[in-house]
Amino acid sequence: MKEFQLGEFEELVLLTIGILNNVAYSIAVKDEMEDRLNRPVSLGALHTALKRMEGKGYLKSYFGESKEERAGRPRKYFEITATGKKALLFSKETRDSLWNAIPASNWQSSLKGI
Amino acid sequence: MNTNDKRPSGFLIQFFRWFCHADMVDYIEGDLREVYDRRLKTSGKRKADWGFFIDVLLLFRPGIISPRKPFQNLTNYAMLKNYFKIGWRNLSRNKEYSLINVTGLAMSITCCLLIYALVKINFSTDNFHDSPDRIYRIVTEMKSNSSYHTSGVPTPLPGLIRENESFGEEIAQIYLANNVLITNRESDGLQFYREEEGVVFVQPEFFSIFNFPLISGSYKSLEETPNSVFLTKEKAQKYFGEGDPIGRSLLLDKEIELTVAGILQDFPPNTDFQSGIYVSYQSFKSYMPWLASENFWSGISGNMQCFVLLNKGFSSQDAEKSLASYADKYPISQDTKSTYSLQPLSDIHFNPVYSGSASKSSLWVLIAIGFFLLFTACLNFVNLATARALRRSKEVGLRKVMGGVRSQLFWQFIAETGIIVTLSIFLSLILSYSLIPFVNQWFGCNLDVTVYYNVEFFGFLGLLDLGITLLAGFYPAFIMGGFSPIQALKGKSSHLKVGGFNIRRSLIIAQFVISQVLVLALVVMMNQLKYATQSDLGFDKEAVVMVTIENDSLNFKQALKNEFLRIPGVVNVSLCESAPVSGSGWRTNIGLGQGAEESDLLTIIKMTDENYLETFGLELLEGRNLNPSDTVKELLVNETLLKNLGIADPQEAMGRIVTANGGNMEGEIVGVFKDFHDNSFHTEISPMLLTTDARSYGSFAIKLNVGAGVEPLREIEEVWKDNLPEQYFEYSFLDDSIARFYESETRMLKGIQIFSFIAILIGCLGLYGLVSFMVAQKTKEIGIRKVLGGGVSNILWIFGKEFGRLILLAFLVASPIGWFLMKNWLQDFKFQVDLDWWLFIVTLATSAAITVISIGYHVIKAAFLNPANTLQTE
Repeated sequence: MKEFQLGEFEELVLLTIGILNNVAYSIAVKDEMEDRLNRPVSLGALHTALKRMEGKGYLKSYFGESKEERAGRPRKYFEITATGKKALLFSKETRDSLWNAIPASNWQSSLKGI
Repeated sequence: MNTNDKRPSGFLIQFFRWFCHADMVDYIEGDLREVYDRRLKTSGKRKADWGFFIDVLLLFRPGIISPRKPFQNLTNYAMLKNYFKIGWRNLSRNKEYSLINVTGLAMSITCCLLIYALVKINFSTDNFHDSPDRIYRIVTEMKSNSSYHTSGVPTPLPGLIRENESFGEEIAQIYLANNVLITNRESDGLQFYREEEGVVFVQPEFFSIFNFPLISGSYKSLEETPNSVFLTKEKAQKYFGEGDPIGRSLLLDKEIELTVAGILQDFPPNTDFQSGIYVSYQSFKSYMPWLASENFWSGISGNMQCFVLLNKGFSSQDAEKSLASYADKYPISQDTKSTYSLQPLSDIHFNPVYSGSASKSSLWVLIAIGFFLLFTACLNFVNLATARALRRSKEVGLRKVMGGVRSQLFWQFIAETGIIVTLSIFLSLILSYSLIPFVNQWFGCNLDVTVYYNVEFFGFLGLLDLGITLLAGFYPAFIMGGFSPIQALKGKSSHLKVGGFNIRRSLIIAQFVISQVLVLALVVMMNQLKYATQSDLGFDKEAVVMVTIENDSLNFKQALKNEFLRIPGVVNVSLCESAPVSGSGWRTNIGLGQGAEESDLLTIIKMTDENYLETFGLELLEGRNLNPSDTVKELLVNETLLKNLGIADPQEAMGRIVTANGGNMEGEIVGVFKDFHDNSFHTEISPMLLTTDARSYGSFAIKLNVGAGVEPLREIEEVWKDNLPEQYFEYSFLDDSIARFYESETRMLKGIQIFSFIAILIGCLGLYGLVSFMVAQKTKEIGIRKVLGGGVSNILWIFGKEFGRLILLAFLVASPIGWFLMKNWLQDFKFQVDLDWWLFIVTLATSAAITVISIGYHVIKAAFLNPANTLQTE
């Protein structure tokens, strides 16, 4: 767990980038997330997360074309690195193992409780 | 929709760009604009703007805000650090060089700081009152045949102005009584205090005009209680110690009983009101009834002054216009016309016409001297820095090869100078701070360290730092920055131009000029003062004690005189009105012939008994001494008076009758005495009469045996105490009083002594440093000369020739400047020394001697070096 630190929001961002494959720049990620998860995503939170994960080495980036609607500013595209992928997998496995560790009976009773 | 409407708010963009991390600002701004554009299309301008605002706000978070890294902005921080490090290393490695520079600069800066304090306190005199620009003093110009300015007004004038005129918000009439005797009769026995600053008789309005706060008591009591007095805290402590002074009493000049009614806060040092005793003006009527009289228009005392706080909306011209009518209505005398004018408060301290206490010109002289001292120190710096520039040539070359440009090197050397200058300033701050008490003692001024506690002073310091750094650092930095890198790295000094030796020569000459002018001034001043205080004044001033007495009975005075004569060691005693030389004296017009019309011949009349001539060793040219008499009967005149009366032959004067003092005084001339100096050497010898008039005798002139020491004086005091236990025994030696005429000159002389000493010392330091470099450069040359047979004297001559030439050149410049300046200074004296050639020779010799002393060590050392040692490396 120690070597792969991944917050919840970061994990979501990382996954979305995975979905978007090759066209993952900030606004596309934001749109996709808002679309799929039905929750508003602020640019501020998104960029902070992107920057942090780039710093951790989960993402790599390259500058893309600049368009008129962006007043000549380039887009920054992100790709998941191998480390990023490992981190995602690690995260999933940890959760799965936790899921699996929950006794079935527990589920029953707690369901009953509801 | 024009394009402006399609854009997000410029302010928000600016804000975003300001806070955003530089690496991210580009593409995030792109994002923001893209989102804005999309929102604009889907939901309109308002929503897009709002969304943009929220977006930017949410971006304002750690991780996006650029971190604070101050030194990233100052891109050359590391370089500056390096400059200072190198500068510091250079300083600490060349200890001698740094010491010379820092000492020189620190000494001159200390002088500057002290001069600053002195100038500041003079220019801020009385500026702390509530509205100093509305405060004026009414002054008078009296015109008859000649014109005469006085700081006073006729006694009734202030009262009339207060009643009839509207220009004054407050009018205050004051009388300054100088040199009074305060007696405290409360304590055991009598205690006498001679107050030279005197007392001031004031009306309460004085304290509405001037800002002198009371600690206890009320201003009203000055008007309501007669004979009430305010003391400053300092004075109260002096008279009464720690006890409560209110309600206690003092005796003023043995006649007026004063009651302390209030205590004033001690005055700040920058005021012209030096007295600490303020007496109710009511008491003045009993102190000097004739002057206090409400219809006394016929004379003006300079001490009877009137201060006005002008009403807003009145100018001084308005006031002067309305004062003109009083001058017409109440003339001083038939042919004397007076003109009243308003003198601004700021002028009072400086205007010599109305006896202002400071002269602006001498302050400017001080400022000039301060500047020249700084200049000398800077010259030292420039000289030494260029002389040793070669040592830094490798560094300069390397820096240039690594891409350093001239301007960078320039600033590097300027920064190094800055370090030295700042260091010196710190040193001199400490020095001047601790020197202030000594300066006060020496020059009799009242400087205060508080002048150093304000923003203005720190501004001055900053300016000084910058100014000196540029003045001293510019030239060496310019030269060193300009080294060609190839030659600099080769280390071939001959190819490098290190500020051609001629420039250094002219700097040394400039230094010599400054010190020579100062030395000349010093020599001339000392000579003149010696002449003024020690030359023969025409009478005997050695060992004469003047004792003042206040007692009307002539018999008593005669008896006391005889008692004094009995004391061993007392040679002669004369009862008289004043000594032959005294600053004050009774002047009146006289006429020749019985009942004659008085001519316009102002004559000093001295009342003396028959022993006067003998006591003071005055020489009779013609006729005989006065016969003892209690009234005016016989007269002695001096040569000047005869000349003014148009009598060529003294014998002709014998038996002529002289009328004086408006016909009240008539006497026969029985003798003529030789002229003597009756005043300081600033003024001509006045026409003078000596006559007997027992009522006027106020002093004993006691001639002591020159070798007798203090013993007779003690016995005189004993006799005094036996006969006059109620009176204060006051005496002064005549030659001390004479020396006091030249107080300001003596002070100036002390100043010049110190300043020229410092200038010379700085110059010596510079020469010492310079010659050590010169010797180092010439070691090989000297070695070769010696090998080829040159003797020690030969080597010495190399340097002697060089410096001798510089001194002579400097002397050519300095002597006319000094001659001109001193000629001007001597103008103040009616009796002056000649500017003899030997004064100039002394100056030149001093200059040469000083040079020999400062360069001698290194030069002699170089001359005696064994050439085998100096040449062995080649």
